[in-house]
Amino acid sequence: MYTQALLFLPLIGFGLSALLLGTARRQQAILKTIALIGFLAIAAAAALAGPETGSLLQGPTLFGSPLTFGLTDLSWYFVLMVAGISLLTVFFSIGALRESGSYPMYYAWLFAKVFGMFGVVLARDLLSFFIMWEIMSWATYFVMQQGRQEARTAALGYLVYAIVAGMVLLGGVIMLRQSTGSFDFGAISAAIKGYSLGATIVALVLILVPMLIESAVYPVHGWLPDSYASTETSITAYLSSISTRIGVYGVVLFVFVIFGIKVIDSVGFSSHLNLRSILLVLAALTAVLPTYTALFQHDAKRLVTWHSIGQGGYMLLGLATASTLGTAGGLFHIFNHLTYVSLIVFSIAAVEYRTGTTNLNKLGGLIVKQPVAFLGMLFGIIGLAGIPPMNGFVSKWFIYRSLILGGYPFIALAAFIATVGTIMSVYKLIHNMFLGQLPERYDNVKEVGFWMQVPILILMAVVLVTGIFPGLILQWVARIQTIMGISPIAYTLTGVQSSAGDLNMAVVSAVFISCIVVAAVIFLIGGKRRIVSQYDNYAAGHFLSKDVPYNFNYHFYSAFEHIFDPLYQAAPVKTTERNLGRLVSITGDYIRRFFTGQINTYAAYYVAAIIVVLVILKGVL
Amino acid sequence: MNSGLGLIVWIIAYPFVSFFLGVLLGGYGRKFTARIQRRVGPSWIQPFYDVIKLMSKKTNVSHGYMHDVAMMMLVGGTLLTMYFVPVPGFHYFSQFGDYIVIMYVMLVAPLGMALGVGQTANPNGSIGIARALEMLAGYEVTFVLTFIGMAMKNGTTSMYDLMLAQQAGGMATWAIVTDPLLGIAALFALQGMMNEKPFEVIVAPHEIATGPMTEMGGKYLGMMFIQHLINLVVELTIYMNLFLGGALNWFEYVIKLFVLFTLVMSVNAVYGRFRTDSALRFYWKLPLPMAALGVIGIMIRGI
Amino acid sequence: MADTELTQRGAWNKVIANLKKRSLWMLHYCTGCGAVELPPTMTSRFDMERFGIMPMVTPRQADILLITGYLSVKTLKRVILIYEQMVAPKYVVGFGSCTINGGMYWNSYSTIKSLDQYLPVELFLAGCMPRPEAIVTGFNALIDRIDRGEANSWEDYYKNYDFYHKNQLHAFGEIETHHDIKSDGRYFGIAEAQR
Repeated sequence: MYTQALLFLPLIGFGLSALLLGTARRQQAILKTIALIGFLAIAAAAALAGPETGSLLQGPTLFGSPLTFGLTDLSWYFVLMVAGISLLTVFFSIGALRESGSYPMYYAWLFAKVFGMFGVVLARDLLSFFIMWEIMSWATYFVMQQGRQEARTAALGYLVYAIVAGMVLLGGVIMLRQSTGSFDFGAISAAIKGYSLGATIVALVLILVPMLIESAVYPVHGWLPDSYASTETSITAYLSSISTRIGVYGVVLFVFVIFGIKVIDSVGFSSHLNLRSILLVLAALTAVLPTYTALFQHDAKRLVTWHSIGQGGYMLLGLATASTLGTAGGLFHIFNHLTYVSLIVFSIAAVEYRTGTTNLNKLGGLIVKQPVAFLGMLFGIIGLAGIPPMNGFVSKWFIYRSLILGGYPFIALAAFIATVGTIMSVYKLIHNMFLGQLPERYDNVKEVGFWMQVPILILMAVVLVTGIFPGLILQWVARIQTIMGISPIAYTLTGVQSSAGDLNMAVVSAVFISCIVVAAVIFLIGGKRRIVSQYDNYAAGHFLSKDVPYNFNYHFYSAFEHIFDPLYQAAPVKTTERNLGRLVSITGDYIRRFFTGQINTYAAYYVAAIIVVLVILKGVL
Repeated sequence: MNSGLGLIVWIIAYPFVSFFLGVLLGGYGRKFTARIQRRVGPSWIQPFYDVIKLMSKKTNVSHGYMHDVAMMMLVGGTLLTMYFVPVPGFHYFSQFGDYIVIMYVMLVAPLGMALGVGQTANPNGSIGIARALEMLAGYEVTFVLTFIGMAMKNGTTSMYDLMLAQQAGGMATWAIVTDPLLGIAALFALQGMMNEKPFEVIVAPHEIATGPMTEMGGKYLGMMFIQHLINLVVELTIYMNLFLGGALNWFEYVIKLFVLFTLVMSVNAVYGRFRTDSALRFYWKLPLPMAALGVIGIMIRGI
Repeated sequence: MADTELTQRGAWNKVIANLKKRSLWMLHYCTGCGAVELPPTMTSRFDMERFGIMPMVTPRQADILLITGYLSVKTLKRVILIYEQMVAPKYVVGFGSCTINGGMYWNSYSTIKSLDQYLPVELFLAGCMPRPEAIVTGFNALIDRIDRGEANSWEDYYKNYDFYHKNQLHAFGEIETHHDIKSDGRYFGIAEAQR
């Protein structure tokens, strides 16, 4: 019954919010209340739906088979994450969206998108999966195009990729239906075991490519940075955290559950060029290249969205190893990424709310003005960089171990290179925003209000607690691994116990705290200290004043820029996209010439068409 | 020293022992450099005097609470790394965290310092931190590749187990002898990790006014010195455990520390400072391919 | 200048002073021509580092401020800023005759003639300019003063700030240093001298 609630509540919410559009323009509070109650109810339903795993719901019949929905352990993991982050986003948006009501359909589209995402993860047959996938893609487009003018153009870029993905997926759905005669996952799974290698490859490519497009894997990642960075910042947080991960759900579902785990090794041309190695290489490229592109960005949102792509690469790395530790790491990373990326973007949104900009070259020194946002971003970047005791470290530990001990040293090195890039770019983010000199124009910036602080504080607590006690999330991960056909991870509340070595986050954190206490004691033994103004600073004898900026923000990593600028300019994916776009517009330009707008040409076309048809029918030349 | 009362006594004494060793190493380094320059040089325990002088300053200057907390994170992070690195007779914490934990925990201290330096609002400090993070992409990547090679070869990521594997057959089983490419590449990386010339660009005194240390005075600089001294010991021990077979007793440990440090200081005494991009290009042209060849060698020979 | 505080110095302070004196860092700031004698003092022949004396880059890190030679009014402004940025205990060493009585530039309109009107000076080194042997002797004298606990001229700046400030205003007018000496003195518990 809660599963049905999960599907109906968002629909009702969408309907209500859309119908009340008129009142909304005058009274934002009504919409906000509906949204808050609706998402609270959805979160409650998600939490309570756990015991219903395994039951099936039958929907209306289409094309000869009923649409089936049902909860599995894998679905419930995603349902919980979607419900949780949606609730926090709504909370945050209530504070962040100003009263001018510039996005009247904001909450309605959020409801629609949640409906689509729930539908995708709850679908138990291929047709409902496809229908819900399309609904989700379109809802994402509508959610994404809320923003300034560039958001609308960038969202169209996403739409092109989403439509291509949808059509390829349709091809896969049709092919599987034709060859197995059914849409049901179970039947397809049984039938695929008997396919020839060629058929399996075709089916896999048709199904996997849309999932990879949705997860923004290199080289099909081009849509993500522009579209996510131009939209409203609360939406950026929401999209970066969970929206792209539905693609990862697809990968797990199809590659491991439906096609079966053996396909990772068997599909391919040799033991060195099979699905596993292709996925590993693609994932490694996804992890490294976007992370180093993020270094050069001077817009905070763009920096973080490039990171989202990179972290998706980590998840795929973990999953592609198909080992206990690796898949556990990949699945856990989905949860971790959700927590810290939304935390970082919420902090950016808090700063943007008060200062009006996310341009890293203009901000600085806001740590004294917005300490809560600073702490939120600090926890977020420690999690993103994967430093203990935050949760990002645990999933990265799993992934590294599985890669090193699994015999993929250069992939493990690529993962570490990505970590170095991550540390560099997140430090630039926090330094340019919160550290350094406070410009005079931000002297009156205040901390953000209650509605915006609460999600930041909650996420900070989650990042820390799941870092020290990863077992809380690993229990779900272990259940998912059983579905995937992998032996579940031997987790404990504070880490992992395995024959190849343990990890105990509680001990690491305890030693961490004690060492800091010892250092604090040493510090306090020293003499008294006075806090001085930022203008009382070493400037080689120069007198500092408010009107002279004494700050290092531009070209933060100039040595890297020096080395990598030629490569960055060449950017193969961007160049290909641009050239494809040019090709399309040139072709369109020629095709346009057919439509002359004059009646004689159209009459001539009509006559020519009749002649052609007669020739074909009568065989007359 | 691994259980019971001995463990508790050692956990309390370990920071002091490390600090003492660090002071000796630092003083030895300065004396050695002085002798190369045909000078007498300061006292053998000169760093101790420096630290006492700094911590006894009376009017310390801070730029904010993050500045204070950062100094605690700096020393705390290095102490945390110290506890997880096995030394002769003490490896209690190795069962709770392996080298990957050490690798990441080693990043806590620089991150803390970077945040504190950020709050001092001095662009020289920010430039120093930017350079330090850029250098990470040079030496740390090389060092991690050598570690990956060793871990793959021995099938474990625990530093204690890697150490034991090398002690099995005396000097012939030391990693630097069985995998010289990896060992030598890691030596290059060690020079960068310890921020000694020619990879000293983060401190560049004449160019960016000592980088991160610009606005640190009094006890803040004292904490940085304490961290630097303990860090000397920790980093040399890490290299020793991974490539020189660790040490079976404290005598051997101290000898190896000083021999390794002499090598590092010898290079430091005769070289100038590479620019950041020159240093990065150097790392990617010589030590990193060396380490990659070593890893490929392991893959072909071993598993 | 022995006062009754000295005899009451506890054993702890004596030990700390004995250790502190072995590590003195001078600010690498060359104000005038006397600075040319510093490189010989630092290098192999006279080796200042064996006393623990090392050049350091920024005022926050340094203990000794060497005013090497003549001090023009323009430089005096910067020197005051730097001196106030230094962390106590700090020692100003007047280096060369120009700091004592104007030296060779006794007749100039733009240099100051007597350094201790503007800053509390710990030690003067006479000479034009003092050779490295004289510098080493001077530094050893400073080390002895620190050991005996007499090197407290830095407190004098807080105690008699009005005197120094009046002279500074007369020399170059008002400067904006972004801190208040009197409130710092109160914060660190250095009592103002009773008139």
